[in-house]
Amino acid sequence: MVEVTLELRNVSVAVGSRVVLSSVNMKIGYRELHVLVGPNGSGKTSLLNAVVGIKPYEVVSGQVLLMGEDVTREPPNVKARKGLVLAHQLPPVVKGVVVGKFVEELARRFDVKKSYVDMLSEILEVGYLMDRYLFDKMSGGERKRLETFLTLLTRPRVALLDEPDSGVDIDSLNTISNALRAALNLGTSLLLVTHSLHMIKLLREYVNTIHVVYGGALLMSGLYDEVVPLVEKHGFSGLALRFSRGGFP
Amino acid sequence: MSRDEVLKALSKPSPYGPDVDLGRFSVSDEETPSSDVSAAEKIADRLGIGSWVLRKADYLQVNESVVARAMSEKLAKYGAVVLPTREALRKLSWAPDYAWKLVEPTLDKYVAATYLYGREAGFFIYVPPDAKVREPIYTCLFITRRSYAQLLHNIVVVDDGAELNLITGCGVPDQPVGSLHVGISEYYVGRKAKLTYTMIHAWAPDMVVRPRTVAEVREGGEYVSYYVIYSPVESLQTFPRVILRENARATLNSVVVGGGRGVYDVGSSVVLSGAGSSGEILSRNLGRGSSAIYARSRIRSTAGPSKGHIECLGLIEGSEALIESLPEISSSSPDAVLTHEAAIGKIGEELISYLMSKGFAEDEARSVIIKGFLSIEEPKLPPQIMDVVRRTIEYIASRATG
Repeated sequence: MVEVTLELRNVSVAVGSRVVLSSVNMKIGYRELHVLVGPNGSGKTSLLNAVVGIKPYEVVSGQVLLMGEDVTREPPNVKARKGLVLAHQLPPVVKGVVVGKFVEELARRFDVKKSYVDMLSEILEVGYLMDRYLFDKMSGGERKRLETFLTLLTRPRVALLDEPDSGVDIDSLNTISNALRAALNLGTSLLLVTHSLHMIKLLREYVNTIHVVYGGALLMSGLYDEVVPLVEKHGFSGLALRFSRGGFP
Repeated sequence: MSRDEVLKALSKPSPYGPDVDLGRFSVSDEETPSSDVSAAEKIADRLGIGSWVLRKADYLQVNESVVARAMSEKLAKYGAVVLPTREALRKLSWAPDYAWKLVEPTLDKYVAATYLYGREAGFFIYVPPDAKVREPIYTCLFITRRSYAQLLHNIVVVDDGAELNLITGCGVPDQPVGSLHVGISEYYVGRKAKLTYTMIHAWAPDMVVRPRTVAEVREGGEYVSYYVIYSPVESLQTFPRVILRENARATLNSVVVGGGRGVYDVGSSVVLSGAGSSGEILSRNLGRGSSAIYARSRIRSTAGPSKGHIECLGLIEGSEALIESLPEISSSSPDAVLTHEAAIGKIGEELISYLMSKGFAEDEARSVIIKGFLSIEEPKLPPQIMDVVRRTIEYIASRATG
């Protein structure tokens, strides 16, 4: 039986006083890739931020279990140290902080070997960014590759990836997909939020479960072959309509 | 200019900063040697550059006493001169040509007091033509005496084609002294010469600080300054002025970390008086406690074509600090291009959240952000100087979250 690294047990998420997602259940096993899809505003980013503990997103009920330990109320830095790390959709510019120095600091904090840093840097093609300031004056692809790099650099047990494919060209998409494959092979579990079926197809052989979130709830979860054809055929709203009428035969 | 005119100026306040009654402070009647080395070490530690600087110092003055003055081989081989100003003006026939030429003794009460009662305390540095003194020269000016007026007159002459990297640390021990520091500095940068000047200040909440600096940069010369103040003060007011001749360049960087109830009126002024001259003013201001920072930046062009740029950024921690950014650009030349940008804000929550999600505790995240904000990467500063600046910024950032 596959060891569960991250479990969301009846998790409901609020932004301020507004509940945006209700009763989400999910179990992500060791080296598993789960994908979360859904239309804009369906709560995907809210879920990732709340799980990590980024304000103003909050888990208002339910539990987040990392390796069986309840970390629901832990701050983001404690979760990161325990192996639950978020790759942000829009990482902010951190003025005056040089990428190379930041990488050194992360490697020191997470006790990561230089050979691993170099290998990851090579896969994600970020070596030339080391003298730049963090995310300052970078293209969309550079920002996404760098954020993926910084996240995987920590050797997380579980990485939550918030649209690492948005706004990137096909080359960067392939590069990021290669890095995600490497991370899975090295023992990291992934929860990937994406709008793009293209990225899912690139990682098809690694995908364990695809979750569809719609209208503030988890609509369905299934294998690649169960979910992707339905999404392609009906779209998210069509899928939701079918479910509201009693589901698929 | 008569002595009477200077005496009259003793009641002339500065147009900027709080007016201070000079009667609060006493000047020393005679030079009493200080042997308080432990106090000097404490000050050096507070400057964030460590007491090692005392061993390397080329000039160390505590109160009015010159404690150490090394004419090391590194200087002698260039024919450079480091002397107390008083001694230089007495011994070198040409030295008076550089005294009180850039700073008018009647400018305000602080300058007048230094002219009349300062007895030419301070340092005099001369670098002969084409001598490239790349290894930094360290000068330290410390105060340990209470209710004392340290009135200094510093003169630096970098002759044509020469180079000098000067680092000056000024401070007091980490305890009340209630004193006044006035430093009159006249800097002469010759044709195609270069002076980089780093000044680090570590004062106390009851200190009054009034530096007065004017630099003249001749044709094709370059002046790069880096000023850091990160301690509480009662008040600090300074508005250094750099006059650029034809094709001369200047970059003035300042990092002000306000604390306590201190008033920091810190400006920089560049006069583009020669065709082809260019000047840049970069300032970073961090307002903490109940401090008030008035960041004045002024670039004036009187000759074109010339270029000037001001960048003034402020970061406020807490709700009681104040930062006023006062950029001013003016031109009487149609060929001058002058620009400015200014912004003031607080530490963004999204930055803290981001760093926390990468494993930094909240106070560590603040420290990283502050360090980044204060770090002005100045490519024109030599690596040895950047090392000192980085160490100082690390020191500030490590104490940023109190």
